[in-house]
Amino acid sequence: MKHMEKNKLIQIIAIIVIVIGIGSSIYVHATQIDSKHINVNGKDYSIDQLFDNSEEKTYETYSGIALDSLIVKAGVENPEKYEYTIIGADGYQKTVEWENMINGLLTKDGKSIFFDLPKAFRVKDIVEIKVD
Amino acid sequence: MKKKKLFAGILVFGSLWGFSECIIGSMLRDAGLPAGAIMTGVFAFSLMAISRMFYKTRGMQFGMGLVAGVLRLFNPFGGCYICSAIAIMAEGMMFEILWHKISIDFNELDTLKIKSSMGIVTSYCIYVVGYVITQILTPVFSSAGFHIENLIVFIPQILAGGLLAAVIGGIMGPTIFLLRKFDNTLVRNRLYYPATIGVSALCWLIVIANIY
Repeated sequence: MKHMEKNKLIQIIAIIVIVIGIGSSIYVHATQIDSKHINVNGKDYSIDQLFDNSEEKTYETYSGIALDSLIVKAGVENPEKYEYTIIGADGYQKTVEWENMINGLLTKDGKSIFFDLPKAFRVKDIVEIKVD
Repeated sequence: MKKKKLFAGILVFGSLWGFSECIIGSMLRDAGLPAGAIMTGVFAFSLMAISRMFYKTRGMQFGMGLVAGVLRLFNPFGGCYICSAIAIMAEGMMFEILWHKISIDFNELDTLKIKSSMGIVTSYCIYVVGYVITQILTPVFSSAGFHIENLIVFIPQILAGGLLAAVIGGIMGPTIFLLRKFDNTLVRNRLYYPATIGVSALCWLIVIANIY
Protein backbone atom coordinates (compact mmCIF):
# COMPACT_ATOMS: atom_id res chain seq x y z
CA MET A 1 0.00 0.00 0.00
CA LYS A 2 2.79 2.39 1.03
CA HIS A 3 4.65 1.42 -2.14
CA MET A 4 1.59 2.27 -4.30
CA GLU A 5 1.09 5.59 -2.54
CA LYS A 6 4.73 6.52 -3.16
CA ASN A 7 4.38 5.64 -6.86
CA LYS A 8 1.22 7.70 -7.17
CA LEU A 9 2.94 10.65 -5.50
CA ILE A 10 5.93 10.45 -7.88
CA GLN A 11 3.59 10.45 -10.89
CA ILE A 12 1.58 13.40 -9.54
CA ILE A 13 4.77 15.40 -8.91
CA ALA A 14 5.97 14.56 -12.45
CA ILE A 15 2.72 15.94 -13.89
CA ILE A 16 2.98 19.08 -11.72
CA VAL A 17 6.58 19.58 -12.86
CA ILE A 18 5.60 19.33 -16.53
CA VAL A 19 2.67 21.74 -16.02
CA ILE A 20 4.94 24.26 -14.24
CA GLY A 21 7.54 23.93 -17.02
CA ILE A 22 4.99 24.44 -19.81
CA GLY A 23 3.25 27.32 -17.98
CA SER A 24 6.55 29.08 -17.32
CA SER A 25 7.64 28.62 -20.94
CA ILE A 26 4.42 30.25 -22.16
CA TYR A 27 4.87 33.12 -19.69
CA VAL A 28 8.51 33.64 -20.68
CA HIS A 29 7.67 33.64 -24.38
CA ALA A 30 4.84 36.13 -23.86
CA THR A 31 6.93 38.54 -21.79
CA GLN A 32 10.13 38.40 -23.87
CA ILE A 33 11.26 41.92 -24.79
CA ASP A 34 12.16 42.41 -28.44
CA SER A 35 14.05 45.70 -28.61
CA LYS A 36 16.78 47.01 -30.86
CA HIS A 37 17.59 49.73 -28.34
CA ILE A 38 19.32 49.82 -25.00
CA ASN A 39 17.79 52.07 -22.39
CA VAL A 40 20.55 53.69 -20.33
CA ASN A 41 19.33 55.66 -17.32
CA GLY A 42 15.98 56.36 -18.98
CA LYS A 43 17.22 57.21 -22.49
CA ASP A 44 17.07 54.88 -25.51
CA TYR A 45 20.18 54.33 -27.64
CA SER A 46 20.85 51.99 -30.53
CA ILE A 47 23.93 49.82 -30.16
CA ASP A 48 25.52 51.66 -33.11
CA GLN A 49 24.94 55.04 -31.41
CA LEU A 50 26.66 53.79 -28.27
CA PHE A 51 29.60 52.45 -30.26
CA ASP A 52 29.88 55.67 -32.31
CA ASN A 53 30.15 57.75 -29.14
CA SER A 54 32.77 55.63 -27.38
CA GLU A 55 36.17 54.22 -28.06
CA GLU A 56 36.36 50.46 -28.46
CA LYS A 57 38.49 48.48 -25.99
CA THR A 58 39.77 44.93 -26.11
CA TYR A 59 40.23 42.54 -23.23
CA GLU A 60 41.45 39.01 -23.91
CA THR A 61 39.15 37.80 -26.71
CA TYR A 62 36.43 40.38 -26.05
CA SER A 63 36.08 43.82 -27.54
CA GLY A 64 33.49 46.46 -26.87
CA ILE A 65 32.92 49.82 -25.23
CA ALA A 66 33.70 50.49 -21.58
CA LEU A 67 30.60 50.41 -19.41
CA ASP A 68 31.92 53.17 -17.13
CA SER A 69 32.42 55.57 -20.03
CA LEU A 70 28.96 54.69 -21.35
CA ILE A 71 27.45 55.69 -18.01
CA VAL A 72 29.42 58.93 -17.82
CA LYS A 73 28.40 59.81 -21.39
CA ALA A 74 24.77 59.10 -20.51
CA GLY A 75 25.04 62.01 -18.08
CA VAL A 76 25.14 60.22 -14.74
CA GLU A 77 26.81 62.48 -12.17
CA ASN A 78 28.78 61.03 -9.27
CA PRO A 79 28.48 57.53 -10.79
CA GLU A 80 30.32 55.89 -7.88
CA LYS A 81 27.31 56.61 -5.66
CA TYR A 82 24.95 54.34 -7.62
CA GLU A 83 24.29 50.69 -8.32
CA TYR A 84 23.70 49.52 -11.89
CA THR A 85 21.18 46.86 -12.87
CA ILE A 86 21.84 45.35 -16.28
CA ILE A 87 18.73 43.75 -17.76
CA GLY A 88 18.60 41.29 -20.68
CA ALA A 89 15.77 40.69 -23.16
CA ASP A 90 14.97 37.37 -21.46
CA GLY A 91 14.56 39.06 -18.06
CA TYR A 92 17.95 37.97 -16.73
CA GLN A 93 19.38 40.82 -14.69
CA LYS A 94 22.38 41.49 -12.53
CA THR A 95 23.12 44.40 -10.20
CA VAL A 96 26.71 45.58 -9.98
CA GLU A 97 28.71 48.33 -8.29
CA TRP A 98 30.60 51.17 -9.95
CA GLU A 99 33.91 49.35 -9.33
CA ASN A 100 32.56 46.50 -11.45
CA MET A 101 31.40 48.88 -14.21
CA ILE A 102 34.99 50.18 -14.43
CA ASN A 103 35.98 46.60 -15.28
CA GLY A 104 33.10 46.03 -17.69
CA LEU A 105 32.55 46.02 -21.42
CA LEU A 106 29.48 46.14 -23.62
CA THR A 107 30.10 44.01 -26.71
CA LYS A 108 28.72 44.73 -30.18
CA ASP A 109 26.18 41.90 -29.78
CA GLY A 110 24.80 43.59 -26.65
CA LYS A 111 26.42 41.45 -23.98
CA SER A 112 28.07 42.58 -20.73
CA ILE A 113 31.52 41.23 -19.83
CA PHE A 114 33.04 41.91 -16.41
CA PHE A 115 36.68 41.05 -15.87
CA ASP A 116 36.34 41.03 -12.09
CA LEU A 117 33.12 39.02 -11.86
CA PRO A 118 32.09 35.40 -12.59
CA LYS A 119 30.39 34.41 -15.84
CA ALA A 120 26.99 34.57 -14.16
CA PHE A 121 27.28 38.37 -14.54
CA ARG A 122 27.37 38.17 -18.32
CA VAL A 123 23.96 39.46 -19.41
CA LYS A 124 23.17 38.87 -23.07
CA ASP A 125 20.90 40.95 -25.34
CA ILE A 126 20.91 43.89 -22.92
CA VAL A 127 17.78 46.05 -23.17
CA GLU A 128 18.29 48.30 -20.17
CA ILE A 129 20.94 49.61 -17.78
CA LYS A 130 19.14 50.99 -14.75
CA VAL A 131 20.87 53.45 -12.43
CA ASP A 132 19.64 53.20 -8.83
CA MET B 1 30.79 -2.45 0.33
CA LYS B 2 34.38 -1.63 1.17
CA LYS B 3 35.03 2.07 1.70
CA LYS B 4 37.96 1.97 -0.70
CA LYS B 5 35.76 0.67 -3.50
CA LEU B 6 33.17 3.32 -2.79
CA PHE B 7 35.72 6.15 -2.85
CA ALA B 8 37.08 4.86 -6.15
CA GLY B 9 33.49 4.86 -7.45
CA ILE B 10 32.88 8.42 -6.26
CA LEU B 11 36.12 9.49 -7.92
CA VAL B 12 35.43 7.85 -11.28
CA PHE B 13 31.76 8.83 -11.58
CA GLY B 14 32.46 12.36 -10.30
CA SER B 15 35.36 12.71 -12.73
CA LEU B 16 33.22 11.51 -15.64
CA TRP B 17 30.56 14.03 -14.67
CA GLY B 18 33.07 16.88 -14.35
CA PHE B 19 34.73 15.86 -17.60
CA SER B 20 31.42 15.88 -19.47
CA GLU B 21 30.53 19.30 -17.99
CA CYS B 22 33.89 20.79 -19.01
CA ILE B 23 34.24 19.25 -22.45
CA ILE B 24 30.78 18.34 -23.78
CA GLY B 25 29.07 21.20 -21.94
CA SER B 26 31.46 23.73 -23.46
CA MET B 27 30.89 22.27 -26.93
CA LEU B 28 27.11 22.49 -26.52
CA ARG B 29 27.39 26.10 -25.31
CA ASP B 30 29.60 27.01 -28.27
CA ALA B 31 26.99 25.46 -30.58
CA GLY B 32 24.32 27.69 -29.00
CA LEU B 33 22.40 24.75 -27.51
CA PRO B 34 20.73 24.77 -24.06
CA ALA B 35 23.74 23.15 -22.42
CA GLY B 36 22.49 23.40 -18.81
CA ALA B 37 19.30 21.40 -19.42
CA ILE B 38 21.00 18.85 -21.68
CA MET B 39 23.89 18.31 -19.27
CA THR B 40 21.51 17.89 -16.32
CA GLY B 41 19.10 15.55 -18.10
CA VAL B 42 21.67 13.41 -19.87
CA PHE B 43 24.82 13.41 -17.76
CA ALA B 44 24.10 14.59 -14.20
CA PHE B 45 20.93 12.56 -13.74
CA SER B 46 22.19 9.47 -15.57
CA LEU B 47 25.56 9.27 -13.84
CA MET B 48 23.99 9.75 -10.40
CA ALA B 49 21.20 7.21 -11.02
CA ILE B 50 23.63 4.63 -12.48
CA SER B 51 26.05 5.03 -9.58
CA ARG B 52 23.19 4.64 -7.07
CA MET B 53 22.12 1.49 -8.92
CA PHE B 54 25.63 -0.02 -9.04
CA TYR B 55 26.89 0.92 -5.57
CA LYS B 56 23.57 0.95 -3.65
CA THR B 57 24.93 3.61 -1.29
CA ARG B 58 23.28 6.83 -0.18
CA GLY B 59 25.50 9.92 0.05
CA MET B 60 27.73 8.80 -2.81
CA GLN B 61 26.09 11.14 -5.31
CA PHE B 62 26.80 14.20 -3.18
CA GLY B 63 30.44 13.13 -3.16
CA MET B 64 30.32 12.80 -6.94
CA GLY B 65 28.94 16.33 -7.16
CA LEU B 66 31.87 17.61 -5.07
CA VAL B 67 34.43 15.83 -7.30
CA ALA B 68 32.74 17.06 -10.50
CA GLY B 69 32.40 20.59 -9.11
CA VAL B 70 36.07 20.72 -8.13
CA LEU B 71 37.09 19.51 -11.60
CA ARG B 72 34.89 22.20 -13.17
CA LEU B 73 36.28 24.84 -10.82
CA PHE B 74 39.89 23.99 -11.58
CA ASN B 75 39.46 23.76 -15.33
CA PRO B 76 42.34 26.17 -15.89
CA PHE B 77 41.61 27.15 -19.47
CA GLY B 78 37.92 27.77 -19.22
CA GLY B 79 37.93 31.01 -17.28
CA CYS B 80 36.04 31.47 -14.04
CA TYR B 81 33.50 28.70 -13.62
CA ILE B 82 32.55 29.11 -9.98
CA CYS B 83 28.88 29.35 -11.02
CA SER B 84 28.92 25.96 -12.80
CA ALA B 85 30.89 24.36 -9.96
CA ILE B 86 28.32 25.53 -7.39
CA ALA B 87 25.43 24.32 -9.57
CA ILE B 88 27.00 20.85 -9.95
CA MET B 89 27.52 20.48 -6.20
CA ALA B 90 23.94 21.63 -5.55
CA GLU B 91 22.65 19.08 -8.08
CA GLY B 92 24.41 16.29 -6.18
CA MET B 93 22.87 17.48 -2.92
CA MET B 94 19.37 17.73 -4.45
CA PHE B 95 19.63 14.22 -5.91
CA GLU B 96 20.38 12.87 -2.42
CA ILE B 97 17.32 14.63 -1.00
CA LEU B 98 14.99 13.37 -3.75
CA TRP B 99 16.24 9.78 -3.69
CA HIS B 100 16.50 9.50 0.09
CA LYS B 101 13.10 7.80 0.35
CA ILE B 102 13.67 5.52 -2.65
CA SER B 103 14.68 2.03 -1.53
CA ILE B 104 18.24 1.03 -2.28
CA ASP B 105 17.14 -1.83 -4.58
CA PHE B 106 14.62 0.41 -6.41
CA ASN B 107 11.71 -1.97 -5.73
CA GLU B 108 9.15 0.79 -6.16
CA LEU B 109 10.48 1.84 -9.56
CA ASP B 110 8.93 -1.17 -11.29
CA THR B 111 6.96 0.19 -14.24
CA LEU B 112 7.99 2.22 -17.26
CA LYS B 113 5.67 5.03 -16.16
CA ILE B 114 7.19 5.28 -12.70
CA LYS B 115 10.78 5.12 -13.97
CA SER B 116 10.01 7.88 -16.44
CA SER B 117 8.22 9.95 -13.77
CA MET B 118 11.22 9.65 -11.44
CA GLY B 119 13.47 10.79 -14.29
CA ILE B 120 11.25 13.81 -14.93
CA VAL B 121 11.04 14.84 -11.28
CA THR B 122 14.74 14.30 -10.59
CA SER B 123 16.07 16.08 -13.68
CA TYR B 124 13.72 19.04 -13.28
CA CYS B 125 14.37 19.51 -9.58
CA ILE B 126 18.14 19.18 -9.76
CA TYR B 127 18.22 21.64 -12.69
CA VAL B 128 16.06 24.24 -10.90
CA VAL B 129 17.76 23.89 -7.51
CA GLY B 130 21.25 23.94 -9.08
CA TYR B 131 20.37 27.09 -11.02
CA VAL B 132 18.79 28.89 -8.05
CA ILE B 133 21.61 28.05 -5.64
CA THR B 134 24.28 29.21 -8.06
CA GLN B 135 22.38 32.47 -8.64
CA ILE B 136 22.45 33.05 -4.87
CA LEU B 137 25.96 31.88 -4.02
CA THR B 138 27.93 33.18 -7.02
CA PRO B 139 27.14 36.87 -6.29
CA VAL B 140 27.77 36.25 -2.57
CA PHE B 141 31.36 35.23 -3.42
CA SER B 142 31.86 38.22 -5.74
CA SER B 143 32.32 41.94 -5.15
CA ALA B 144 28.89 42.75 -6.63
CA GLY B 145 26.91 41.03 -3.85
CA PHE B 146 23.56 39.23 -3.96
CA HIS B 147 20.36 41.10 -4.87
CA ILE B 148 17.25 38.99 -4.34
CA GLU B 149 15.18 40.94 -6.89
CA ASN B 150 17.55 39.75 -9.64
CA LEU B 151 16.69 36.16 -8.73
CA ILE B 152 12.95 36.68 -8.29
CA VAL B 153 12.42 38.23 -11.74
CA PHE B 154 14.31 35.38 -13.36
CA ILE B 155 12.46 32.51 -11.60
CA PRO B 156 9.99 31.95 -14.53
CA GLN B 157 12.93 31.53 -16.94
CA ILE B 158 14.58 29.01 -14.60
CA LEU B 159 11.32 27.06 -14.26
CA ALA B 160 10.87 27.13 -18.03
CA GLY B 161 14.46 26.06 -18.69
CA GLY B 162 13.93 22.98 -16.54
CA LEU B 163 11.28 21.65 -18.93
CA LEU B 164 13.84 20.35 -21.42
CA ALA B 165 15.82 18.72 -18.58
CA ALA B 166 12.58 17.07 -17.39
CA VAL B 167 11.75 15.71 -20.85
CA ILE B 168 15.28 14.31 -21.23
CA GLY B 169 15.10 12.83 -17.73
CA GLY B 170 11.77 11.20 -18.63
CA ILE B 171 13.50 9.39 -21.51
CA MET B 172 16.73 8.65 -19.63
CA GLY B 173 14.94 7.20 -16.57
CA PRO B 174 13.69 3.94 -18.19
CA THR B 175 16.87 3.71 -20.34
CA ILE B 176 19.18 3.80 -17.32
CA PHE B 177 17.35 0.94 -15.62
CA LEU B 178 18.23 -1.32 -18.56
CA LEU B 179 21.75 -1.33 -17.08
CA ARG B 180 20.57 -2.96 -13.84
CA LYS B 181 21.83 -6.39 -14.81
CA PHE B 182 25.41 -5.07 -14.95
CA ASP B 183 25.41 -3.67 -11.42
CA ASN B 184 27.55 -6.34 -9.76
CA THR B 185 29.83 -7.18 -12.65
CA LEU B 186 31.35 -3.69 -12.61
CA VAL B 187 32.14 -3.43 -8.91
CA ARG B 188 33.34 -7.04 -8.49
CA ASN B 189 35.57 -7.04 -11.52
CA ARG B 190 39.26 -7.65 -10.75
CA LEU B 191 40.18 -4.71 -12.99
CA TYR B 192 38.01 -2.41 -10.88
CA TYR B 193 40.79 -0.34 -9.30
CA PRO B 194 43.01 0.02 -12.39
CA ALA B 195 39.94 0.92 -14.47
CA THR B 196 38.44 3.46 -12.04
CA ILE B 197 41.75 5.15 -11.28
CA GLY B 198 42.81 5.11 -14.93
CA VAL B 199 39.54 6.59 -16.19
CA SER B 200 39.54 9.26 -13.44
CA ALA B 201 43.15 10.23 -14.16
CA LEU B 202 42.39 10.45 -17.88
CA CYS B 203 39.39 12.74 -17.26
CA TRP B 204 41.46 15.10 -15.07
CA LEU B 205 44.37 15.07 -17.48
CA ILE B 206 42.23 15.93 -20.51
CA VAL B 207 40.47 18.76 -18.67
CA ILE B 208 43.56 20.25 -17.03
CA ALA B 209 45.79 19.89 -20.08
CA ASN B 210 42.96 21.19 -22.26
CA ILE B 211 43.42 18.37 -24.79
CA TYR B 212 40.30 18.65 -26.89
